[in-house]
Amino acid sequence: MSKTDQQLQSSTPNSLKKHTDIKGIISPFIVLFSMLILWWFVCTFNIFPSYALPSPEDVLKSFKEEIVAGRLVNDIIASLWRVVIGFFLSAGLAIPVGLWLGQHAASRRAFLPMLNFFRFLSPLAWIPFAILWFHIGDKPAIFLIFMAAFFPLVLAVMSAVATIPTIYFRVAHDYNYKGFALITKVTFPAVLPQIITALRVIYGIAWVVIVAAEMVGCQDGLGYGIWEARNGLRLDSAVCYMIVIGLIGMGIDRILIQFTKLPNVRWGYER
Amino acid sequence: MKLTKTTFFLGIALFIIVLGVLRFKPWNNLTSMATKDVIHQGPNGLAHHELAIGFLPVTCHLTCPVTDFASKTTHSNTNFDSRLFTDFPTVASALEAKQIQATFMIAPLAMKLREQGVPVKICYLGHRDGSEIIVGKNSSIRSLADLKGKKLALPSLFSNQNFVIHKLMQDYGMKPNDITFVILPPPDMPTSLASGAIDAYFVGEPFCAKAELDGYGRVLYYARDIWPNFISCVLVVHEDLIKSNPEVVRDLVRGIAQSGLWAETHRAEAAKLVAPYYRQNEKVLNYVLTSNPERVKYVNLSATDEDFQQIEDMGLKLGYLKKRTPMSELLDRSFEPKDLTPAAITTAEITDHNKHNR
Repeated sequence: MSKTDQQLQSSTPNSLKKHTDIKGIISPFIVLFSMLILWWFVCTFNIFPSYALPSPEDVLKSFKEEIVAGRLVNDIIASLWRVVIGFFLSAGLAIPVGLWLGQHAASRRAFLPMLNFFRFLSPLAWIPFAILWFHIGDKPAIFLIFMAAFFPLVLAVMSAVATIPTIYFRVAHDYNYKGFALITKVTFPAVLPQIITALRVIYGIAWVVIVAAEMVGCQDGLGYGIWEARNGLRLDSAVCYMIVIGLIGMGIDRILIQFTKLPNVRWGYER
Repeated sequence: MKLTKTTFFLGIALFIIVLGVLRFKPWNNLTSMATKDVIHQGPNGLAHHELAIGFLPVTCHLTCPVTDFASKTTHSNTNFDSRLFTDFPTVASALEAKQIQATFMIAPLAMKLREQGVPVKICYLGHRDGSEIIVGKNSSIRSLADLKGKKLALPSLFSNQNFVIHKLMQDYGMKPNDITFVILPPPDMPTSLASGAIDAYFVGEPFCAKAELDGYGRVLYYARDIWPNFISCVLVVHEDLIKSNPEVVRDLVRGIAQSGLWAETHRAEAAKLVAPYYRQNEKVLNYVLTSNPERVKYVNLSATDEDFQQIEDMGLKLGYLKKRTPMSELLDRSFEPKDLTPAAITTAEITDHNKHNR
């Protein structure tokens, strides 16, 4: 089925590619640069007092300080490790659970209220329990990421399965696919594009949660860095950490976009 | 290379492995195993034990990094490593889980832990005084009575600051709800005051000095004006450590006492020494320690029954403590040294150490 889709798509002109000219490449940099200028302007002319907004010069200085001391690199590795483990744990559990629930209407009805209930609990509410159960170190942060990512992902996968056209299953029935084979040969490939989109969203949640999760119960990591900068009355260093968090978040999302270029799922995005 | 399923998943697996290796640094374990007998990095090489002590970057805990420093440069049987925490709930949890066996913490929290059955003992004090009530520089507040109907920020319900302010309110004949109390993380207090979100705050240093130095706060009361020899933080030791290794605890209390004695008379040097440990601006710490020697004291650090009886009475009265813990269960003064000399720390060593940490 994916083959016919691809053939259909290749006949239509790819309008996206034509817009990536010079203007398209430099315009984001112009926006970023003008934001920096605005920041510098606000600081230089003291529109906000210096204790309320650190200046770009101070932030640059603390960047240098953190890199020389080796803390920044260590914190980046710690945060990435927690996010990656939490992300794969929740993906590894949520995708099978979502696929199974998507195909079994009765259990879906039974579990849906529970899943929705936990989805609306902010992972930050789990912080006291994370510390009580997992003490300090990597584990509480990973637990919080898991709690933040697992439930939305199960629901996303489940509803993706529910939208598969019934014709797929009728064909599968003709080929006599059942049980595990049905899931791996039909259901999973059919929802893979939606799963990848959901994974990108989940990764976004995980990266946001790591900052909050590391503010307690950790002794390193980017969130801890911000918290510590606050305790040290060093807002310049907090801004330096915020910039790093934003940049890494963006960078990893670029990598996740590569998922969508896999031959098996490309059909799902070319509309 | 063409992007296929195999290369993609291989790439992800490689990424996780590299990240894991960087995170856990297995080569560190190998080297530390090879040099296990030599704990000490200092010049004397006499330390046979090692102990991590928790602390927060507040001046109540100043003697902790000083002891860490002194144990590496002077003769001590134990190598002390100060471990920086950023909030008290995490410290309490680390102590419960025995990830650390000795730490500094606010006195009522230690009493609460004991009440809840965590076997900890208060062995020594962090410092005396060292807290202030700060109000806006140009505000009309001149005494506690002026704070009626205003907002005052406290670091925690289980802080001695909370207990003491209630004592002061009683002395003034005020009712408990005459002042609106807000719990705020100490670092946010100076900025909240500056922006007008709160009218006053009562917390330990250096968060009071910050508002003064930045020019928007002034001291309404020093803690000693309200409660002479005010205690904010105490040295808490897990009973397991006391039982299994009393010698280390003896070393620790001696180290803290000697560090206090040294800091009391070498205030500018102490600010310089702890700035890299605290990751704070030396200027603020210097101001706290040198602007007025009465602001904070590092002598007379023995934990007396009267002090804690007073705190316990107040805690019970306010309902933050539920049951009376006998002082013999709460305190352990047996490790306090009889003869005290200031820790032998030289300015040259501090300069040298700070250079390496920059």
